[in-house]
Amino acid sequence: MRSPIRIVFEQRNETPKYLSTLVPLISVIAALVAGGLFLLATGYSPIDTYSNMLSDGFTSSRGITDTLGLSTVLICTGISAAFAFQMNLYNIGGEGQLYLGMIGGAWAGLALGDRLPSFVMIPTVLLLGSLAGAVWILIPAYVRSRLGTSEIVTTLLLTYVAASLVDHFVYSPGSFFVTKNSAFPQGRLVPDSASLTAFGDTSLYPTFFLVALLALVLYWVVKRTEFGYRIQVIADSPRAAHYAGINANRTTLSVMLISGALSGLGGAALIVGPFGRLDPGITLLGYGYAGIVIAALARNNFSAIIVSGILFAGLRSGGDKLQISTDTPIHIGVMLQGAILLFALGGEAFRRYRIHAVRAERAAQ
Amino acid sequence: MTNTSHEVAKGPHHESGAAPSALSAHSIVKRFPGVLANDSVDFDVLPGEVHTLLGENGAGKSTLAAMLCGLYQPDSGYITRNGERIALSSPRAGLQHGIAMVHQHFRLVERFTVAENVILGSRDLSFRLNRSELENRVSAVAESYGLPIEPGATVGDLSVGQRQRVEIVKALYQGAEILLLDEPTAVLVPAEVEKLFENVHAMTQAGKSIVFISHKLGEVVEISDRVTVLRNGRVTGHVSGRGTTDTKELARLMVGRDIELTTQRASHATGHEVLQIRDLSLNVGGVSVLSDISFNVHAGEMVGIAGVAGNGQRELADTIAGLLSPTSGSVAITGSMSTDRGPIHARELGLAYVPEDRLGMGLVPSMSILDNLLLTRDRHIVVDRASVQPEAVRLIDQFEIKANGPEHIARKLSGGNAQKVLLARELSGGRSATKLLVVCSPTRGLDVGAIETVRALLDDARSAGQAILLISEDLDEVMSLSDRILVLYRGSIVHETPGESAQLATVGAAMAGLSTEGNA
Ligand SMILES: Nc1ncnc2c1ncn2[C@@H]1O[C@H](COP(=O)(O)OP(=O)(O)OP(=O)(O)O)[C@@H](O)[C@H]1O
Ligand SMILES: [Mg+2]
Repeated sequence: MRSPIRIVFEQRNETPKYLSTLVPLISVIAALVAGGLFLLATGYSPIDTYSNMLSDGFTSSRGITDTLGLSTVLICTGISAAFAFQMNLYNIGGEGQLYLGMIGGAWAGLALGDRLPSFVMIPTVLLLGSLAGAVWILIPAYVRSRLGTSEIVTTLLLTYVAASLVDHFVYSPGSFFVTKNSAFPQGRLVPDSASLTAFGDTSLYPTFFLVALLALVLYWVVKRTEFGYRIQVIADSPRAAHYAGINANRTTLSVMLISGALSGLGGAALIVGPFGRLDPGITLLGYGYAGIVIAALARNNFSAIIVSGILFAGLRSGGDKLQISTDTPIHIGVMLQGAILLFALGGEAFRRYRIHAVRAERAAQ
Repeated sequence: MTNTSHEVAKGPHHESGAAPSALSAHSIVKRFPGVLANDSVDFDVLPGEVHTLLGENGAGKSTLAAMLCGLYQPDSGYITRNGERIALSSPRAGLQHGIAMVHQHFRLVERFTVAENVILGSRDLSFRLNRSELENRVSAVAESYGLPIEPGATVGDLSVGQRQRVEIVKALYQGAEILLLDEPTAVLVPAEVEKLFENVHAMTQAGKSIVFISHKLGEVVEISDRVTVLRNGRVTGHVSGRGTTDTKELARLMVGRDIELTTQRASHATGHEVLQIRDLSLNVGGVSVLSDISFNVHAGEMVGIAGVAGNGQRELADTIAGLLSPTSGSVAITGSMSTDRGPIHARELGLAYVPEDRLGMGLVPSMSILDNLLLTRDRHIVVDRASVQPEAVRLIDQFEIKANGPEHIARKLSGGNAQKVLLARELSGGRSATKLLVVCSPTRGLDVGAIETVRALLDDARSAGQAILLISEDLDEVMSLSDRILVLYRGSIVHETPGESAQLATVGAAMAGLSTEGNA
């Protein structure tokens, strides 16, 4: 008599180093395969679609600069998510904080007008955007640190509120953010002093380098500073933090505010960069949500987020161009993003557990 | 202390060699990065036998036991059960072969209740029980083992001693044929140890087998049919036959020299009052945990707190350390109030504190030894690891911590070596010169050589004028070291006696709540 086969998850005592690179890599490949099957099933050629995407996203020089340009905001939302995740704080409202960053940045640009020089305006816009992102997470952060209320629910709910806020500022008559007497409601462009110039005729702005540098700085902060030390202690063992007199409430508050600010910075980078105005189209792009996936794929490692952010940007910008140029299913890029998240989270199981099939043995007694 | 009545049970198997061993390891090799934890180890346990593994901290005992229960897999070598080769791919597979283990680093789920933890992973989960039924059942089972536990309590709220009881009850509850006990008695009081040993005897009488690991040599002599000594991952000695050895010989086999455990006490002339506790009461969640406690500890004095786990010891220590705020009363360190202003303030007043719970409270498991040394120190804004590096190297050397270096992750240390890191940090001073040392079960899990070292260090600290509060469930330790002994029972001090004239019987009775009048 054959006994049935069971799948056994066995916790690893030690995660081999290679798995930490292999698992994300395989998650991406598996997602591409799954996406390919989907393309096949719906009557498209996966090979053609992917090669078009690849050339649009990664191989042509135009494609590469577009990818890097798009990665700017994605790295922001990625480090925003990772900064909270590393302390087991699940800020999944980066999307909403990003909108607020746009609102704050656009407001600063419009309100200050053309009176100040660029080297004052740009930092001011970025700062105000970040501040607005931080304000948007203030309440979730406060109730989480004081009362322990789940930040997952609160940050997500506020994202919907933020989306309505964007709509309100763009569509309500006489809004400060829009061009007056225009037939079509559209955000006003911020003045030139609040706009950066892209390199050549690409969509790559200097903010990319700022953001990449910021990711490296955060890496250093977590590994080397007292603040990072506290984060590590609290993340691993709240009781040890208490024992050592580390104020977990205050650290929770700071970490969440910084996380919100980083998403806000992403929004402000769109203002000084490609968008230049408060654009309601942002609510359809899901850059904030993408940050969650980017952080998960990079396992909250800030320098790895630069890589996963660029990878995602490539998939997205390649996918977006397909939609314009060829007859392919729309949103293949977004779909791949979802698939990567699923496989990356599933891959975590492989990192933590050894998985094998066994024949169910007779009970010992 | 030899108990001859049990020799009968195992004698015949051993001599005839006919019965295969219940469980054996054959040329087992297990390597961790930088260490060979087990180097071709052969080990076996017969039906009806207690076979003890003995060895210094980091010798590889827990690693071997973990492979015997399926938690780790050997790099090479194999395991047989009743002579048949088996693959133990997981603890669950181990349970299916009738093997259960009590782990040194507890593997309980802190958020679950005691009852949930006990039934977790056991085979009879197929029928559903409601909460109170389950709790009654677990409670009844625990009672029958003589190790009472409160089934409804959340494990995270329990003291280490109480958790130990839960671990043991859980393992016994599995109904295993082979029980691996990794330092089960480290935090138990003598009465509980006696109960455990009764259970062990009942099991061996029924032909079941026990693998026992302990640093308490008296226990080893009392309970073992055979002893195997490990050193640096290799088997270096055997003793077989009950009652053929004594603790001195075992110590020699283990560390290669004679061990003298000091039992020195301070001269009566002690200094000023360093710790002053006045009418201290503490309620947690409406329940009185400490009531009306008053006592002092003087410079150069060691005061021992004896008591059964869960009578308020942990809360007393936490309150002194500024981790809990008293409901009423006061705690002063060198004349300044230390409560209400948090643990850092207490440390600035000269406190050093070794909590009973080492991994998870005293140490951060995922951090290196170096980072753990920084836990209670001033770290500066940019953590200055480089300047602590030489001290880390020196402490590793001084405390003979078996590790690959200061970067070794705390979770990957053997139990005794983790304890040594904690002691090394707290005994070597921190934010300010130590004036008051609060130590909970300081020698828990240490080998005899290390106990000698730690006791000598505590002695030095006392001679240097530090006030020491020793809180331990190891009554022997409290009795042999303290200048003064206080017994804590249900949150009150019920007995006080000078150390040198303390009577085991009287202190034991007070711990059990049988005597209420002090005689000091
Ligand atoms: N997960 C691990 N990763 C790396 N090294 C480990 C790991 N577990 C144990 N070791 C190392 O293996 C050696 C043996 O450890 P083990 O826990 O078996 O010792 P032990 O004999 O049980 O000691 P103790 O009496 O202190 O509990 C030690 O040097 C320890 O540092
Ligand atoms: Mg051990």
